[in-house]
Amino acid sequence: MTEANSEVRAEANSEVRAGANSEVRAEVHTEAHAVLAEGVDRSFGGVRALRDASFAARPGEIHALAGENGAGKSTMIKVLCGLVKPDRGTVVVKGRLATAFQELSLLPDLTIAENLLLRDPPRGRLGLVSRRRLVPAAKTVLETHGIDDLDPRTVTRDLSVAHRQVVELVRVLATRPEVLILDEPTAALQEQQVAWLAAHMRRLREEGCCVVFTSHRWREIEALADRVTVFRNGTHVTTRERLAEAEAVTLMSGRTLEATYPPLTPPQDAVALRARVGEVELKIRRGEILGIGGLAGQGQRELFLRLFTGRQNVTVGGVESTIRKPKDAIRAGIGIAYVPEDRKAEGLLLPMSVRDNLALATLERRSVAGFVRRAAERAAVRDIMDRLAVRAASSRHPVGTLSGGNQQKVLMGRWLLSGAEVLLLFDVTRGVDAATKHDFYALVAGLAAQGRAVLLYSSETEEIAHLCHRVLVMREGRVAAELDGPVGDAELIVAAAVREREHV
Amino acid sequence: MSELRAATLGYAVLAATAVAYLVVYTTNLGHLPTPFDYLSLLNTSLPLVFVAIGQSLVVLTGGIDLSVGGMVGLGVAIVAAGSTGGAAVTAGWMLAAVAAGALCGAVNGLIVAKGRIAPILTTLATLSVYSGLALKVLPVPGGKISPAVRSVLTDPDVPTGLIWLGAAVAGWLVLRRTRFGMRVYAVGSDETAARAVGVPTARVKVGVYSLSGLCSGLAAVFYVSTTTSGDPNAGDPFILTSIAAVVVGGIAFAGGRGSALGAVAGAFALTLVIDVLFFAGIDPLYQSLFQGLFLVVAVLLGSLSTLVRWRRS
Amino acid sequence: MRAAVKSLVDGPHRRVLYAFAAAATILLTGAVIHPGFGSWTSLRTMLVLASFIGFVGAGQMLVVLVGGIDLSMPWVLNGAAIVLTTSSLGQSGRLPLAIVLALGTGAAVGLCNGLGVAWLGVPAVVMTLGMNGVLQGLSLGLSKGLTCGSCASYAPEPLRRLVVGRIFGVPSELLLWAGVALFVTVLLTLTTFGRRVYAVGNNPRAAFLAGVGVRPVTVALYVLSGVFAALAGITLVAYGGQPSLGLGDPYLFESIAAVVVGGVSILGGRGHYAGVVAGSVTLVAIVTLLQAERVPEYGRDVIYGLVILAILFTYGRERADD
Repeated sequence: MTEANSEVRAEANSEVRAGANSEVRAEVHTEAHAVLAEGVDRSFGGVRALRDASFAARPGEIHALAGENGAGKSTMIKVLCGLVKPDRGTVVVKGRLATAFQELSLLPDLTIAENLLLRDPPRGRLGLVSRRRLVPAAKTVLETHGIDDLDPRTVTRDLSVAHRQVVELVRVLATRPEVLILDEPTAALQEQQVAWLAAHMRRLREEGCCVVFTSHRWREIEALADRVTVFRNGTHVTTRERLAEAEAVTLMSGRTLEATYPPLTPPQDAVALRARVGEVELKIRRGEILGIGGLAGQGQRELFLRLFTGRQNVTVGGVESTIRKPKDAIRAGIGIAYVPEDRKAEGLLLPMSVRDNLALATLERRSVAGFVRRAAERAAVRDIMDRLAVRAASSRHPVGTLSGGNQQKVLMGRWLLSGAEVLLLFDVTRGVDAATKHDFYALVAGLAAQGRAVLLYSSETEEIAHLCHRVLVMREGRVAAELDGPVGDAELIVAAAVREREHV
Repeated sequence: MSELRAATLGYAVLAATAVAYLVVYTTNLGHLPTPFDYLSLLNTSLPLVFVAIGQSLVVLTGGIDLSVGGMVGLGVAIVAAGSTGGAAVTAGWMLAAVAAGALCGAVNGLIVAKGRIAPILTTLATLSVYSGLALKVLPVPGGKISPAVRSVLTDPDVPTGLIWLGAAVAGWLVLRRTRFGMRVYAVGSDETAARAVGVPTARVKVGVYSLSGLCSGLAAVFYVSTTTSGDPNAGDPFILTSIAAVVVGGIAFAGGRGSALGAVAGAFALTLVIDVLFFAGIDPLYQSLFQGLFLVVAVLLGSLSTLVRWRRS
Repeated sequence: MRAAVKSLVDGPHRRVLYAFAAAATILLTGAVIHPGFGSWTSLRTMLVLASFIGFVGAGQMLVVLVGGIDLSMPWVLNGAAIVLTTSSLGQSGRLPLAIVLALGTGAAVGLCNGLGVAWLGVPAVVMTLGMNGVLQGLSLGLSKGLTCGSCASYAPEPLRRLVVGRIFGVPSELLLWAGVALFVTVLLTLTTFGRRVYAVGNNPRAAFLAGVGVRPVTVALYVLSGVFAALAGITLVAYGGQPSLGLGDPYLFESIAAVVVGGVSILGGRGHYAGVVAGSVTLVAIVTLLQAERVPEYGRDVIYGLVILAILFTYGRERADD
């Protein structure tokens, strides 16, 4: 995150241009710009992340960088701060640069104080780091940025994601940047912390700082940004002062999306899954999509994991069983499947082939005495790839070489192959671009129409509002409200999530 | 995190072994250990203490150094082969041994950091190289050390060893309070993040492996001084014992957590165990059995205590 | 044809190809600078020596595939060798029992390793290093520092004949190695177990969430590793006749080196036994060549280490992260 390293800082201060053909370009424009990138190309292993991309931002403005996943935003940000060298093109950054990346770059085993002051710790005698002055110094840093509810002695591993993000931002803000780049700074933050960050971004703007940020939430972009730049397919599309959401979506995806959410088929009467998970009573009918709403971190993840991995009695399709590990869930009654939010960390085996990934959960169904029946496997894999229209050069290619949307399909395909009738989908659309989301909604609605039961959680309340027959709003591990769907208006769910309990 | 808390496991294990030592000693000999016993314990522990500090630094960055065996062996060979002359000549060769250790360590660090080869593979290969060099320098065990040098380093009657132990501990405490010290923990905690916040990870790695080599060189000096002769294979046991000391000392194998002081305590505990076995009348052939058990039990205790703490919070 | 070559060079088998290239390079170098090096007699001797590394390499590779490591090899090997001679007392009739006991020793140690690593969460380096110490202490202590002082302590004759003898002119030891190679390759490529091994090695969390029993798989691999170490011990005793103490010491280094020279990723999830076979041959060829050239012992150690480093630099590097 912050000032990538000393060399980069030197570059930033002295207006050095990176790239091969950097001789005479851009001299004229640099006056008005704090950040300027022109004609940037960058490839990663044959995939072109940026092609002839340009970006410019002025001092004293808040500039949003918008685009779908894979549009090149993150790569552009890494190029701007010097972490990634462009294959071609010029980059100029004027002034002291600080960056906060999407992947948190706090050191988990260090305390808040050590993290905040790693660059320039307070010195005592003999120029040694003074452990005694470290904590008060960190406290001062936190307080000057309006944070007084964090103990600087806390090891950052023990903090919530939101608090970690706050510490991360404080560290960046404390470097008094002249150019500040924030990659998805609000993704992990709560409402109130977003307001805190917005205030700081505005203050920096008044002080003449150039603030660049990316966000998936259009509301924030509208509220904060003086100008918006849209990226698509690794290149610059437009830069505007005003941009309505509908038009932005069109610009970002390159096509218009009308009815984003598919119509829902009414559920059947038969109960697919019944369980009491902690304080939550669950009953999902076949063909029903049950949404789990609420603010982040209200026990939703625990609910999903309990149903799939641990110590839980369930009745699945009328059959009672006890789940201790995923294998039990897969085999329970009509079968349970779990699709996690982070498909790279928890779902797919990226270096392994599409075939291996698809077949993994159901290996023993196509085996004799422990040997894989390869012909049967090939047939099953081909069938599921056809059904989901997975686009891959062949089933033998590593799944990591597929596009994000196709990876998602492979993960869903694994569970369709298992024949699971109960699908647990946990925040599956996180970080997925609009077009893929659209396909995904249709897929889920279609699966439900075929009689499968779906339990759906999403950090985007809009999805829960439109895609679910029924919604349970969770707060502190309990059901705070139950709404009949499709709710349609996400505000209703949010209201139920924050409202005090009516009957205690 | 305070140094004390970080090294709790090491101290606890050391205390337990010390009690066992006292009990076994007194029941066997009918009196408490004499100052001479303590001094001899201190002197025999010193080489391992140094290697353990070096190993700690490497493990704190998430690496491992198997080549300590070769580097100690090389150091021992240099000192033993060179110390045929007077005290001044011996001292000179001792400095050379320490320098050779640091150089070998730097090579490890460069290969790991710049060559992007896993630490365990790098140091396994260099272990072979450094052991070979030790054989070249001193083909057969031998050598003698001048009493003058010995009285400065590990006098059998005067606790000069305490000074060096103090220096080692002080050295660690100072290092911990430098920016380099903070960076060691940063690299071990999350290398990618550390790089992103501007920690020069390659330089830090070269630094810790060099220091590990330097510590091995120092260990070699003290080894020759205590045993008064040299064996080119003298370093081999230190591979296992230094890792054991680090683990017993409560340093997380994944890096980022722990203190070298714990490893120092672990080094003493491991040396004590051998004496406990001796006084308990157990055949020394079983020595490695107990060292192995000690290692596994200590790490189990460590994971158990973190589990308990985690459950409570 | 070109596509096939391209897929070999770029595809998942690329590192196996490198491993064979490395072996061929060393063998050719030897044949050029040292007459007789490339003869069938010399090759046969090298292959037999390589087979012992091949056995420990098989075990080491299996645990490395799931990101583990087995440092208990030396004394599992040595312990199994001692168990074999002390339980057989050199008598042919007791041989089957002795072999079962020796392999069982390996399996038992592997089970301890596996349980410690998979269930108790002990780092593999620590657990297996500790077990190595335990086995060393037991071996030394129980044998009183001698290899079975009271008995003949020779491997029974049938076993010796089996390992040293030939079938159709091929040393039967090599046929045994071919059997091991076939077993490991089939296990890893054709069975559901093999698929699970690679899944665990690539991403244990994702494998677990796909219903793979990560812990049972891990334990099974450590058990197999122990069994292969014991197999190496048995065949080495049969080959040399007597189990000396320290018999297994060189095989820790050799097993790990064979695995990485064979193109198996030390981080887990990638590698094939064919590569390990090539790696074993490479290692033996290097040593044989150095001996043939009358390089003194220190020089052998140094050059050996340097060659391995060179091979690591060629294809054993971790990905650059940016």
